[in-house]
Amino acid sequence: MFLAIKEMLHEKLRYSLIVALIFLVSYLLIILTGLATGLANLNKAAINEWDASSIVLNSDSEGRLQQSFLSQDEVASLPNNGTRISQYSTLVKSENGLKENTQLVGLDSKSFIFKKLKITSGSKNIRNNAGVVSDKFKSDGFQIGDHLLVANSSLRIKITGFTPRATLSALPVVYISPDTIQPLNKGVTNAVVFRNKLKNSKIPKGTNQLSISSFIKKLPGYSAQQLTFDFMIAFLYIIILIVISIFLYILTVQKLPNLGVLKAQGVSTQYLILSTLFQSFIISVIGVIIAIILGEITAITLPSEVPIVIDKSNIIVTGIGIIIMSLLGALIPIRQIAKVDPYKIIGG
Amino acid sequence: MSNLIFESVTKVFGEGSSKYVALENINFKAESGQLILVVGPSGSGKTTFLTIAGGLQTPTEGDVKINDSTIKSLSEKQQTKLRLEKIGFVLQSYNLVPFLTVEEQFKLVDKLKKQNLTEQKMHELLSDLGLLELLKKYPNQLSGGQKQRVAIARALYTDPDYILADEPTAALDTDRSMKVIELLRDLAHKRNKIIIVVTHDLRLKNTADKVYQIIDGKMQMIN
Repeated sequence: MFLAIKEMLHEKLRYSLIVALIFLVSYLLIILTGLATGLANLNKAAINEWDASSIVLNSDSEGRLQQSFLSQDEVASLPNNGTRISQYSTLVKSENGLKENTQLVGLDSKSFIFKKLKITSGSKNIRNNAGVVSDKFKSDGFQIGDHLLVANSSLRIKITGFTPRATLSALPVVYISPDTIQPLNKGVTNAVVFRNKLKNSKIPKGTNQLSISSFIKKLPGYSAQQLTFDFMIAFLYIIILIVISIFLYILTVQKLPNLGVLKAQGVSTQYLILSTLFQSFIISVIGVIIAIILGEITAITLPSEVPIVIDKSNIIVTGIGIIIMSLLGALIPIRQIAKVDPYKIIGG
Repeated sequence: MSNLIFESVTKVFGEGSSKYVALENINFKAESGQLILVVGPSGSGKTTFLTIAGGLQTPTEGDVKINDSTIKSLSEKQQTKLRLEKIGFVLQSYNLVPFLTVEEQFKLVDKLKKQNLTEQKMHELLSDLGLLELLKKYPNQLSGGQKQRVAIARALYTDPDYILADEPTAALDTDRSMKVIELLRDLAHKRNKIIIVVTHDLRLKNTADKVYQIIDGKMQMIN
């Protein structure tokens, strides 16, 4: 790849401009992917932590927890290894004036979901109006032992522990016992969550079983939000493809006479094509690496209210995606290289 | 002893009403140690002759043989290898890669041939051609004559059997043109190469061992 490296080193400005463009688009891509992941996590993090496979809801609920009400008969006819979920959205306040919109989730302390919950500090206790709360409360100033005063009710929930990644529909979750939530939602069970998928014969009439991934897609606003991000991300990939194609095309057109002469002198088409692919690979790798570094710095510097998550898997997928787009972008210039006829260059 | 032979070579472009005979029944033989000039007006078929001799085009009829083997029987890959190892091209322009220094033009040949840089050989060549002080210069830092001399040195670096030069003096003034052509003649004689120069510049014809003229695709020896 002698020719490719020498050209890039000699034409620093040209290739730096391409790298800068790839960096800018890649940076935007990484930030958008990070925001898409962060917002998705805000919606579904708690559900992912449940580590469940399926959820049974009322058939008329359109897959939405808040709209689902299961009768006692329906709950009783389901297998008893599921976790009964009662949900109630409300505002809670601390005694020293802190406020937080929240999702109260009632479940049994012997349920598999509760057993799986991790604790970052405090203890895992939801007896006697105690609650294990999302660690978002902690970052907002709440402490172990604080009491959460539930709006429009006399209920006081004592914080006993903080649990990580506990957000549902972009609100932090407070896990409490069925007894504690009972006065708020009149003992209604909204859904039953199972570790495994149930056979259809075990699903009572009037209820519907959804996979957890389908349930997440039906969270209010979730699919619309993710689709919007997906479109923006897809367009950015296309932009990278076009930018690389145009730049490499122009550079190739400018050096076609030299390429023709090189071919005449015995340089194989394969060598010239590999040189172009190598250049495309190198400039995209440099652009992506700079974008990743600056993306990470941005994610650290942004205020915690911005839900951005730049994780390894996203970086790997985005990086590989950009590099593939860059290599695809080199296809048009490669076609030109393959077609250049030394005879036409020499013959004029 | 190397040779290049054209046996009844005809080259036709297009067909029907757009049919054009660029070369017609050419018989030609060149042997080592000769500087051969091929002259003719623009559009006479000189460059077609040169590109067929260099394996860049195949004749419509007839055969071209290099050291008794027919070019058209070679695969494209073999022809590329032949051009890299046996043929040196010197052209009017674009001879040198603009982003490589003089030294790197030679290194590129080494990389392509997967050989280590034979610095001694490169230095010897450049010294012979009075170019040693230009090693670190880029083509745009060289004069027209220097560029042509570097191109000739680069063409010789692979130790080819023959060198094909297309209007190598077109961009040079009379004095520099004569120096370049004299250099080529010396190389043909001292290094025992076949050097074929295609040109429309009749001032050069007294410098060659043989002079051929092409007019309307027909070739004849005139000197």
